[in-house]
Amino acid sequence: MAKNRKNQAAAIRFGPALKASFLCLLIGGSAVGYVWQKNEIYRLGQQIRQRETKLAQLQNDNKRYGDQISILHSPVMLDQRARELNLGLAPATPMQVVRLMETPVLPEKNSLRQLAQRPVTDLTP
Amino acid sequence: MTNKQQIRRALLLLALLAGAFGGLAYRLVDLQVLRHDELSAKAELNTQREFWQAPRRGDILDANGNILATSVAVKMVCADPSLIGNFQPLVAHALAPLLKLNEAELAQKLTPHLVRDAKGEVVTNNLHYVRLAKNISDETWQQVTAAMTNLTFGVDEKRLSRIEKGFLRNLREHALFSEPDQLRVYPNGSLASQVIGFPSVEEAKVSGRLVSQIVGRDGVELALQKQLSGVAGWRVTETDRAQHELVALRDEDVHPRDGLNVVLTVDTAVQHIVETALADALQKHTPRSITGIVMRPKTGEILAMVSMPNYDPNQPNTITPETRNRVITDVVEPGSTFKIVVVSGALNNGVVKLTDQFDCDHGHFAYAGRVLHDHEAFGMLSTEGIITKSSNIGAAKIGIRLGEQGLYDYAWDYGFGQRTGLPLPGEARGILYPVKQWSKVSIAQIPMGHGVAVTRLQMLYAMAAIANDGWLMRPMIVSRLQERDGSVVQRYAPGRVRQVISDATSQQMIEALKTVATKDGTAPDAAMKNYVVAGKTGTAQKAENGTYAPGKYVSSFIGFFPADNPELCISVVMDEPKEGYYGGKICGPVFRDIAERCASYLNIPPDPKLMTNAPSLVVENAAR
Repeated sequence: MAKNRKNQAAAIRFGPALKASFLCLLIGGSAVGYVWQKNEIYRLGQQIRQRETKLAQLQNDNKRYGDQISILHSPVMLDQRARELNLGLAPATPMQVVRLMETPVLPEKNSLRQLAQRPVTDLTP
Repeated sequence: MTNKQQIRRALLLLALLAGAFGGLAYRLVDLQVLRHDELSAKAELNTQREFWQAPRRGDILDANGNILATSVAVKMVCADPSLIGNFQPLVAHALAPLLKLNEAELAQKLTPHLVRDAKGEVVTNNLHYVRLAKNISDETWQQVTAAMTNLTFGVDEKRLSRIEKGFLRNLREHALFSEPDQLRVYPNGSLASQVIGFPSVEEAKVSGRLVSQIVGRDGVELALQKQLSGVAGWRVTETDRAQHELVALRDEDVHPRDGLNVVLTVDTAVQHIVETALADALQKHTPRSITGIVMRPKTGEILAMVSMPNYDPNQPNTITPETRNRVITDVVEPGSTFKIVVVSGALNNGVVKLTDQFDCDHGHFAYAGRVLHDHEAFGMLSTEGIITKSSNIGAAKIGIRLGEQGLYDYAWDYGFGQRTGLPLPGEARGILYPVKQWSKVSIAQIPMGHGVAVTRLQMLYAMAAIANDGWLMRPMIVSRLQERDGSVVQRYAPGRVRQVISDATSQQMIEALKTVATKDGTAPDAAMKNYVVAGKTGTAQKAENGTYAPGKYVSSFIGFFPADNPELCISVVMDEPKEGYYGGKICGPVFRDIAERCASYLNIPPDPKLMTNAPSLVVENAAR
């Protein structure tokens, strides 16, 4: 025999309440998660943008410093500096250059490489 | 009764509601269906932005990687006058010293003007966008933004309304903004300026915005514009109300492809040597112009190309027609340097030998109704002696023996009357008339370098062929194209054009040319201490208005060294020198100066015969 609903005890029915709470939490959590996710996307987007700008800036700086090094190493700049500082530098004359001429390889046994050594003072006329 | 009235009222209300809802429904259909395309495009325009991303223009480097031209990232400072209100004088006062602009002019730029547009309607010009200054460095831009942030308006801002506070905040933060731009920089100033060329800035409208682009106008900058300029990128994205990009909503993002770096065959050090030597000669002999070229005859690589007066590409106001690259653009009668063509041709054809004797008629030779002269009265001269002494009459007689067609063919084979193929704009062909247009005296005049017109490069090109066993090498100015990381995209190899004379003839010519830079020759001052020089002098009277102008000469010396193993071929040409005019006398010493310094820099081994007391060390290879 079925129970009379009117005479049922006024106890809290946990099942449906839990279900409702869970549903509410799910919907609420989804909403908060969605907003959080959107917020994160925006925040990360801003970070990406800032880092892209920073990267471009660093690349520009890198190029600029590379150029500066290259310019300071250029023969024209070195010549100019040598004149400015009055270093008395001059190109070596052919007489000051020692050339090492290699003879053809001979099949001699136990011949050792002999490098003639000359004092540096002898090379300057 | 009451019931009927109620029903009527209800019906009336229903009709009104139905009408209202009908109207709304119509509006809905109108907005969502009928005007969908138009309105969705409008909506996209409100949020979607297309940004053009400029590629970085490639650098121009010398053979050793030294920078000759580069691009520096700078900023274009722009303003939105609609955000400035009536504070133009205040803003102009703060910015003018930083941007190095006139304060009144700056205030004028910041003021919106009423103008009539193409339809005749009165509109506010420059309401949202005006360009204030170009080529502003990052440091200056930082100062500009700081100056804007610290602007004070002479009012207690705490008492202002919310709208007024918002206006001032907008003015400080958004009234001024910058756009990325590039500035072309030439760190060595005028060095190799005519080879490198110069650019100009052109503006093109991209996505409704004016965009600056660097476009080459001369030299390598123009010739390799396509390779240097790269390919632009773009980004389609959305922005928020403050115009900040919403990265998550980026649609298309195509990165720009930077321009390629162009590596030249020019060596900065050699170029510097030539420029300083020519600058000294310019001061000493005050010619209208002076040119110098250094080429490797074995490969055709040009190590230096100078034409003075020159210009500084960093200062466009120094660029005038007088500063053109005369090495390739100007044609002149070459004078005696052209004798190498007729003599080598005759030797190659076997119609003369080096030892053959010619009567030079003591300086007067009548031919075809004209009298030809020598600068000295020579009697009998050998073919070699004709080169040594630069006898016009001797050269004319060799030319007559070679014949008109033979002379023309050799001149053509040496590359006269045609472009050398150097990849620089504005190269002239020179003038070499076909034989049928020659007068009777042409066969006697052309061998002495009159009746033809050549560029300085063509003359050097021919001399380099003699130095290179008769092989004409295509002149090279560009060595390779490479990416920014140094990876080679295209390499240009030396190219043989043709063999004009045989190896044996080339050796004979070198023997003859060696005698020029001796005490018996016309250019003893061109002789070097440790190298044997082979070369030829030239002194041509200038033609003006159909006659030869007295006292106006084009003087030249073209030579190469070491004569028996040529490493460098050098040309020095002066146009209308004031102090002296013989090529050997005034260009010879300049040649020697350049050659000796280049030999030292490039470590060219000296001629063993001329090396006295030289330290010679022998390393014996170890056989293991």
